[in-house]
Amino acid sequence: MIVTNIEVIPGKTVIKHLGIVNGNTVRAKHAGRDIMASFKNIFGGELKGYTELLQESREEALQRMIEQAQAIGANAVVNVRFSTSSIAAGAAELFAYGTAVVVE
Amino acid sequence: MNYENPEIPEGINVTPEHPLKEFAVLLVGVSTAIVVAVVALSLLAGYMVRFVPFAQEQALASRAGTLWQGVVLDEEAQSKQHYLQSLADRLSVHMALPEGMTITVHYVDEPTVNAMATLGGHVVIFQGLIDAVPSENALAMVMAHEIAHVQHRHPIVALGRGFAVALALSSLSGVGDGMMQQWLGSVGMVTSLSFSRAQEAESDLDALQALQQEYGHVGGAEAFFEYVMDGGHWLEPPALLSTHPGTEDRIERIRAFAREHPAVNPKLVPLPTGM
Amino acid sequence: MNLDLIVFLVLLVLGYVFGQIAEKRHFKSIIEREKALRDVLCFNERHIPDLGPADTTLVAGSVVVSIDYFKRFVAGLRNLVGGRMNAYESLLERARREATLRMKEEARARGATSVWNVRLETASIYKGARQDVGSVEVVAYGTARIPR
Repeated sequence: MIVTNIEVIPGKTVIKHLGIVNGNTVRAKHAGRDIMASFKNIFGGELKGYTELLQESREEALQRMIEQAQAIGANAVVNVRFSTSSIAAGAAELFAYGTAVVVE
Repeated sequence: MNYENPEIPEGINVTPEHPLKEFAVLLVGVSTAIVVAVVALSLLAGYMVRFVPFAQEQALASRAGTLWQGVVLDEEAQSKQHYLQSLADRLSVHMALPEGMTITVHYVDEPTVNAMATLGGHVVIFQGLIDAVPSENALAMVMAHEIAHVQHRHPIVALGRGFAVALALSSLSGVGDGMMQQWLGSVGMVTSLSFSRAQEAESDLDALQALQQEYGHVGGAEAFFEYVMDGGHWLEPPALLSTHPGTEDRIERIRAFAREHPAVNPKLVPLPTGM
Repeated sequence: MNLDLIVFLVLLVLGYVFGQIAEKRHFKSIIEREKALRDVLCFNERHIPDLGPADTTLVAGSVVVSIDYFKRFVAGLRNLVGGRMNAYESLLERARREATLRMKEEARARGATSVWNVRLETASIYKGARQDVGSVEVVAYGTARIPR
């Protein structure tokens, strides 16, 4: 599965456009991490727990998007975009979408 | 070039788990965690707070501003307070109070059927309680029970625990919203209440031992609790939410103690006239 | 305390019953309407292929969906433990598909056969007293191609 965020795949020709596929997930870290993060807000610096949370969410959203693309017989997803929202405090919502295509 | 939108199968972006199952698992898990945390904090706070010197506790109590401050007692009330104080002094002899610990009894002329021990060794006895007991033995049981609370430093332990638990629960305030707080609060409260029930049982046992030594028997000790059972003037919440163990359990415990320590000639001491 | 508990349990049961009914009904209607609008194609590529003379116009669709009391409580518990919040995932799925459908409906009403450069944005217009959100707002927009 080729995933790009440009509209073409260099060196390959798109033979079929299959429409939009997407993947979303909402994840949270346990309360201990939330409390640690609120302490970290005093001193500044990277909130490792939340970085990890975003990374996990992003991977899961991409994975689900790819799963949808595979289900409709695509072998690449182009023009992928990420979008986030804030549904609940302390939770990350990641949403990935792109156009599923078949390349030769 | 070929353009189409094939149908995407359902269920890729949602997890097919029944919401009730998730609810049950989470509820049990989180409640257990809170109970464990509150118990651990209570034990720790209770342990630490014992290192606070009694003199400090007394200073805290006098600064806190209390129920009896500024109350001027008339002659009759003063004589009652004297009698109660002497009863407390006689009982405390048998109770091995730590060095420097003193018991100060306060008489309150109100019909409330109650007695309580607070910070700094202050014990409050209400007229309603005196009216409710048939003999000095029954009054001594309640009095010794309150003295035992002071001896075990239960008032300050309760304060320390309450503080620790409140602090712990409020540190979770960043997560969830109003109803989460409410839920966490109730689970925490039930746990800490069951803790104080153990303290009540401990105090009852010490009180019985003091009575045994003072009067040679524990006859009449259950009279007050029997009064509570029959009359029901005592506002008793359901056993789970009450800080006092079930009245039946307490009477049973007193009777068991009496069976273990059979008295030759149990004689009840009447209350002095004018009480 | 007892009264609070009763109110809480009643809200929980009401939230569960009505929330489940509403969600099932919404998903059913989404699936039906998706079938009906299947011939309006969606792509998120910017380049519209030259398939003959056509007009273009911007089309958009948006929706705000709120979560029920029961799911919000479960999500609150989940927030303590960590992990995937199933309660919110189905909400997002509903909001996203509904917004896309409304965009397609607008496109169909204008006589379009396909929508290009589709973008999905999540907006945030409602926040509770404690900054707890509990509702999602999704906007879908794109350029519709109307064959002349």
